[in-house]
Amino acid sequence: MKLPWPLYLAWKQLFPSQRKISFFSLLAIVGVALGVNVMIVVIAFMQGFQEKFKSDIIDAQGHARMIPVNPQGRSMDVLSSLGEKDEIIGISSYVQGQLLLQNRDYNSIPFAIGLEPDSCSEVLPLNEFLKQGHSVMDSHDAVDLTPSPTTDALEDEVVFISLEVANRLGVRPAAILQLLDENKTGLMDGEDGRIEVRRLDPFISSGEWILEILGSNRIMIREVISNFETVRKIRDGVIDLGYGNPVFEIKKGSKPFLPGMIFRYQCFRSSTIEVYSPSMIEKAKSDEMSPPYEVRVGGIIEVPWQGFHSEVVLGTARFMQVMKNQRDSADGYYLKFSDELARDEVKLASICKQLEGIWSDNWVVIPWFVENAWFFELLQFEEYLMILIMIPIGLVAAFAIAIALMTSVMRKIREIGLLVAMGAGQISVGFIFCLQGLIIGTLGAFLGCGLAIVFIHYRDQLMSFIVEQIAGEDGQVGVSQFYDFYSLKVNYPWESPASLINFLSFATFAIMVSTVAGLLPAWRAARLNPADALRSE
Amino acid sequence: MHYGVSESKESFVLLTEGLRKSFSFGNSKIEVLHSVDLTLKKSESLSIRGDSGCGKSTLLNLLARLELADSGSVYWEGKKLNASEKPSTHEISKRASFLGVIYQSYYLIPELTVLENVLLPNRFLDRVDSTQRQRAMDLLEKMGVLDKQNQIPGKLSGGERQRVAIARAMINYPEVILADEPTGNLDERTGGEVMDLLLQSCVEEETSLILVTHNPKFARATSRSSVLQDGTLNEV
Repeated sequence: MKLPWPLYLAWKQLFPSQRKISFFSLLAIVGVALGVNVMIVVIAFMQGFQEKFKSDIIDAQGHARMIPVNPQGRSMDVLSSLGEKDEIIGISSYVQGQLLLQNRDYNSIPFAIGLEPDSCSEVLPLNEFLKQGHSVMDSHDAVDLTPSPTTDALEDEVVFISLEVANRLGVRPAAILQLLDENKTGLMDGEDGRIEVRRLDPFISSGEWILEILGSNRIMIREVISNFETVRKIRDGVIDLGYGNPVFEIKKGSKPFLPGMIFRYQCFRSSTIEVYSPSMIEKAKSDEMSPPYEVRVGGIIEVPWQGFHSEVVLGTARFMQVMKNQRDSADGYYLKFSDELARDEVKLASICKQLEGIWSDNWVVIPWFVENAWFFELLQFEEYLMILIMIPIGLVAAFAIAIALMTSVMRKIREIGLLVAMGAGQISVGFIFCLQGLIIGTLGAFLGCGLAIVFIHYRDQLMSFIVEQIAGEDGQVGVSQFYDFYSLKVNYPWESPASLINFLSFATFAIMVSTVAGLLPAWRAARLNPADALRSE
Repeated sequence: MHYGVSESKESFVLLTEGLRKSFSFGNSKIEVLHSVDLTLKKSESLSIRGDSGCGKSTLLNLLARLELADSGSVYWEGKKLNASEKPSTHEISKRASFLGVIYQSYYLIPELTVLENVLLPNRFLDRVDSTQRQRAMDLLEKMGVLDKQNQIPGKLSGGERQRVAIARAMINYPEVILADEPTGNLDERTGGEVMDLLLQSCVEEETSLILVTHNPKFARATSRSSVLQDGTLNEV
């Protein structure tokens, strides 16, 4: 392929024959690449954070919330109409308010939400929040085998509370520790045959459980305090002794159970909390005293969305209706739409508007992005601010390129004169330097995009390394609590249009800035008098 | 150096009429060329000698239309060019095929190999093909530096560099070669070899040559000799 001669000379000056690359080219290209890489990675991470927040928000409150315009319109009649809508794939009513919780002398007034146990999982992945909310008990030789609670444990007398509320009240859910495991070899997990705890319901009593292997297929189970004793077959796998008792699960491993082996467990009952509601205060005013409502702590709930109430208690809708003395009504509905609809914010906003019209504007349907618009505007502002801060990085690279190319013009002044003497046009000669800027920018942009992809791919390892260097190994946990880089979904350019636009924008910016940086030296070269250039020393 | 009455301007490959050039230094003005008239026929070689700073290089620049004269005309193959006006696009594009230039300091492009340097003027005419490549190799062979074709200029001696510069000047079969002290940086023996090659090549290729030199021996080797003194060119 015949290159136009200015492009040929521009390329040769950057990549001379017999040498792979000139030192100047290497520095300039790497400089542009690093700038592009930093800009892309920062914005990609910001987009990753936005995606994560979006996902966390939807998990915490569904795609939309439906709220009555006036308190009298809280009827649950709309539920059947909502269920007929094809676009809606999940509905769960909620009742919310403020409650006073008390444990001995400790009080807390968290935000309380009552959910329908049967339908809430259609809209909110509560089990995921509960899984994270398991508070591990530390002990010297004991192993905490408390299973993660699930929404199956949600009853009218059971609540899930946030860690802040649990700490404030000094309460915890039921827990079970393994004190002795005679089949333990200390080898890797899964090697030994072991006995785990599959379920621990909130109404379990405190006690000490001893499991003894009697033979190849028999195991004796005994509770020390109540003297309860039973013998079961090992091959049953799951040993369910009924409500109020732990459910054990026997897992066979490479090291078999031998007769006489003892397994000992200490079980701790869940704390009880006294609940006072505003309706009780109303009753007290009319000299009607009602006793506090007692609930058990079923588990700790941790919602990853930071905008969610940090002090929260989660119970059944019926529990909240009783507390608020508000029978057969809901304060609103969490709605979940089909994925196709949820992906398109315009469509989602439109369907929410249509739903409002059905009930003569007695209900407002607020999509997640409208309810949290303030937060996303803040993130957007932060993103723009980052871009604004990073633009000077590009400009610094441009200045560096301009200075280097200008130096090149001065150094090659007699060559420029010679080119004109040999028949080159002066504008074409100037074009050589402009093209050098373009080549540096293009190669730098490509390399920067490549580096960004590598950085995004190895982000966990890189972040771990950086955090470890700064905060040490222990600091990893602390840092990841605030900046959850490890679970961050950062898209590659082929995975999302936003990421592709991010890559293309910064690559184009780098190419433009580098080309513009070459204009001044090009103009200088084009204006040189060839005779003066040839005479210059 | 006026042309005769019987000769038309078209019969000269290069011709000047009343070329004047002065340089300003502050308030003072120094006229280095007073009405220079020069003629050069096809295949002719003309040497120009003169003291340092007498205007020899300036005259070559005016002939190549790299510099503007105060007044006068330059004729390229009989076509009149106003020497005091900026060269037209046509003149610039013609320069690559009409002129070959050789300088004392070689001015090879350091990023290109020897072969690429020789082919560079072809690129200005968009004429790089196998024929031109072969022509470049033939010229390098004639200059005795074919084995250096893939080396960069930095690895060559001064004599070798100037041989490459001669090959580069001849690549486009120019009508005229302007050589500005081509042996100025070379020792006597090497300078002699280079000069022999230049003169021999010009004869073989029927290329006209204007040679600026301080060396009387080289000046005598050209078909015509002249001296630039006090701003005028006098044939000797």
